[in-house]
Amino acid sequence: MAARSMLRSVWTSFAGLKLGTNVRVQQWINVPQLPATTIQSRGIRIVVEKTEGKTTTIEGQILDVPEGPQPPNPAAKCPIYRWNLQHKYNYTDVLLLSQFIRSDGGMLPKRITGLCPEEHNKIAICVQMAHRAGLLPDHRPKLPEGHVPKKPKAQLKRYLTRWSIDSVKPIYKTGLKWCKKHMAVGHPALKDNVITVLLQEEKP
Amino acid sequence: MSSMEKTYCHIKYRSLQWATFARSWFLIDARMQPPGKVATMCSIRLQGKHKPIYHALSDIGDHVVVINTKHIAFSGNKWEQKVYSSHTGYPGGFKQVTAAQLHHKDPKAIVKLAVYGMLPRNLHRRTMMQRLHIFPEDELPDNIRANLTEELPQAREIPRKLSEYTQEEIDAFPKLWTPYHYRCM
Repeated sequence: MAARSMLRSVWTSFAGLKLGTNVRVQQWINVPQLPATTIQSRGIRIVVEKTEGKTTTIEGQILDVPEGPQPPNPAAKCPIYRWNLQHKYNYTDVLLLSQFIRSDGGMLPKRITGLCPEEHNKIAICVQMAHRAGLLPDHRPKLPEGHVPKKPKAQLKRYLTRWSIDSVKPIYKTGLKWCKKHMAVGHPALKDNVITVLLQEEKP
Repeated sequence: MSSMEKTYCHIKYRSLQWATFARSWFLIDARMQPPGKVATMCSIRLQGKHKPIYHALSDIGDHVVVINTKHIAFSGNKWEQKVYSSHTGYPGGFKQVTAAQLHHKDPKAIVKLAVYGMLPRNLHRRTMMQRLHIFPEDELPDNIRANLTEELPQAREIPRKLSEYTQEEIDAFPKLWTPYHYRCM
């Protein structure tokens, strides 16, 4: 309860201040990240509505969520740094990427997930590449009701696509070696990633 | 050594020699593979460079059969950016086609052009291209299927889709963040 009372006092102090228009107020207060065991939260609740005759009862029943394994570096602010995965993920790590996306494929905001801005951008880039590679087939935008999908066009198979498909123009003149127009593969934001896949020995 | 033993040794080594100089048929599945990597594997085996007895004049190359070329995967945005150019010889006959358009017109062309560009630029190139058999889908004629000796492993490891993971594997992966950890008042 000490944590909640501390939050309450900070909120009241913020509310009392009169801030000028040029000062951008941070909408949230930095709470030190505590592991699940020590934080006093009321837990996730599911809303249940019951109608008995004339009375309707709407209550939030506490869901029993089992606690998962503890991160190796709990003191860090960003989830990637908490689990020491800084340069170790790729567009193929769908199990990791699917934790930061909505059901229609879009990214969750970083104020919800707690990611730092650099990692949020890197994950967004990996999610984009995974969508274009077809690795997230179930995270598609919802079609309006009654919409009959036409026969889907055969999509070309691709991977590590940086740019959106419709925005790219063909390179008609690639140029000489010293002024070559290269066809980009992957993204420069992921250049520090360590490739953990063991390279096969080249067969003669 | 008697004459019978001499003839026996002679036959054994003769059949070994026939086995070393035999022409084998390789199968490569190009599904979800980059065409360049498929083409290097093909060109090495068409020239015969995978054999220790290689010599450029020996005509020691093998046959290579490539299947599923319709499902080839380019990295990056090469489907839109890569341009295949040709000239008919007539004025105004310079044609430039993107990889996507060429693949739509002929699904075998990209692999064929890639292998053609990787073979040595001599008169053997045309014979080696005759020994390359490309098929856009899985179906093979029976006579080619009967000749196949070895399937080569794929160059690129195909990543798994989210739908291909079992529920146990998804549950075993730890949750990196939980909603009741978010920073708010």
